[in-house]
Amino acid sequence: MTWFETFMNGFTLTQAWLFEHCVNPLLPPLGLLAYQEEAFDATEFALVGVGEVALLILIFRPLEALFPAERWSGRRGVRVDILYTLLHRLGFIPLVMFVLMWPLTFKLDAWLRFHGFIPYTLEDLIPPLENRPLPTFFAYLVIIDFFSYWLHRFQHRLEWWWALHGVHHSQQTMSYWSDDRTHLLDDVLTATFFSLLSLAIGVEPGQFILLMMIPRILQSLAHANINWRFGPFERCLVSPHYHRYHHGIGTGSESGQSSCNFAVLFPIWDILFGTANFSKETPPTGIADQQEGRDYGSGFWAQQRLGCQRLWYALTLGKA
Amino acid sequence: MRSLLMTVLAFFSLTALTCRAEVVVVLNSGEGTITRIDRQSYQPIDHFYVGREPHHLMSLPDNSALIVANAVSNDLVFLNPKTGDILRRLPRISDPYQIGFSPDKRWFVANSLRLDRVDVYDAHDFHLVKRFELASMPSHMAFSPDSSTVFITLQGSDQLAAIDLLTRAVKWIIPIGKTPAGVILTPDGKHLLVGVMGLNEVAVVDYKTAQIIKHIPAGKGTHNFMPEGDGRHIFVGNRSGDTVSIIDTQTLTITKTFPVPGGPDDMEVSADGKELWITNRWIRQVSVVDLSTDKVVRTIPVGKSPHGIFFENHAARQ
Repeated sequence: MTWFETFMNGFTLTQAWLFEHCVNPLLPPLGLLAYQEEAFDATEFALVGVGEVALLILIFRPLEALFPAERWSGRRGVRVDILYTLLHRLGFIPLVMFVLMWPLTFKLDAWLRFHGFIPYTLEDLIPPLENRPLPTFFAYLVIIDFFSYWLHRFQHRLEWWWALHGVHHSQQTMSYWSDDRTHLLDDVLTATFFSLLSLAIGVEPGQFILLMMIPRILQSLAHANINWRFGPFERCLVSPHYHRYHHGIGTGSESGQSSCNFAVLFPIWDILFGTANFSKETPPTGIADQQEGRDYGSGFWAQQRLGCQRLWYALTLGKA
Repeated sequence: MRSLLMTVLAFFSLTALTCRAEVVVVLNSGEGTITRIDRQSYQPIDHFYVGREPHHLMSLPDNSALIVANAVSNDLVFLNPKTGDILRRLPRISDPYQIGFSPDKRWFVANSLRLDRVDVYDAHDFHLVKRFELASMPSHMAFSPDSSTVFITLQGSDQLAAIDLLTRAVKWIIPIGKTPAGVILTPDGKHLLVGVMGLNEVAVVDYKTAQIIKHIPAGKGTHNFMPEGDGRHIFVGNRSGDTVSIIDTQTLTITKTFPVPGGPDDMEVSADGKELWITNRWIRQVSVVDLSTDKVVRTIPVGKSPHGIFFENHAARQ
């Protein structure tokens, strides 16, 4: 048995044990037994999340210590981002989004089909992908990254959306924990967008669990406090330096007409749409008005509350 | 030249062997693959991609191919189980989760558990005849012996529905108990058995009067059925309790229960009545039960979330 098979066996048995002893017994009293298969998948999601968080700590924490982009007097500001990461990657926020998106993804899908429209998958639209799950997976990765780029641009361009996205940008001690630091309403908007996208092009093949972790780990790396550029590959994959410039005060997204570096995984989208900036400068991260004393909150609930307040201002006064 | 000849001979020998071997086909719903297993040696033959979320499979009425229903790919794949060749793919079949042919081979019914819908197709050319909106979570199905009615469990709304295939109208819907799953006709054709997962029981239904006439306590998470092939006994899997029970359909009692690990789900019984093959949903395995001892004697690794299972030389379905 190879090490990979041994690992997968261990993973399977752990997932089965957790499901049968911890999750499944809760389903009948909660009236959720009909969702047994979804609960089994959610157990896997949480278990993968645990592994992912362990990997982040084991790999990125030493790298942040060895190659820091910024030197901090302490890591107190990072703590709240750990909470965001755990809520996202262990499945709590995805579960809430799944429940909220249910009417959209399933009821709309059902309604469309009842009226004769069967949504397409990427293989329907690009026949050479049929029966080739791995190329199909990568095709979805590229397409989803393209749409993520544009979604990200609108998060900055629309004042009311920026009011929410500001939670993500307000981190002044940006680390590998910061990727999931988002406003819950921002999560709802993102989930809505990708639910609608899935009605248009389907969802990616779900069997490549370990591959599915890679984009999430890369996004954590992009936010890490590591002074890395990727040399000749800097234009292929978003590096920590490239994304740090996007988060920089007065640079990146705060450069007015020169706003830049919106790509999530592949800088090609920035290059194609004229928003790439491969500057060597390493600016401090945050939002300019924080230096004028604006408070974005230091705890989870304060950040959520102030995000809602800014959204209200943006919708009523036109300025967040 | 000689090595080429040897290679060609080896290839044809292997092909001939593969064609002769009895093949077990397992659908790994969580990874979109099929595992084929040699039933004699219990060794996996191959493992290949078939589409997204293949849950259930069945033979065409003329046994010319196996139909694999890919729920999320929205298609039916016609497979040669002996060679593993995909013969053709029928696209634009909306979310086929559970599938079935009426006994008269006139209708092909596909349940969409995810989207609260039941589709009735003409079995000859698979053109859609009628689409029913049936909330919620239409799960398993069984047909009346005269093919006039298809019975469908509604897993989300705790009901059993009957659809008249001749008039293409819903005949009745009755409450059946919390989270019903499998449904099967007893060999004498008199009753329906429904696996009620949330009540850990089998509900016995007189489908002519749409009445529940008996509740048979079973194991935890009573889920799916498969006839033993003797015209009397039926296996029922208890997916949450990791057991399988045997129901005597003449006395409507459970005669035996034995353990099967990892969420026993779909089953297949050998024609000689010696072996029961079961997909173990949570542990990526198929179990083989020796029916002379009611013990799991083999476990075979397959893919993620194995669901449907089939082999040709199976016991009678009634």
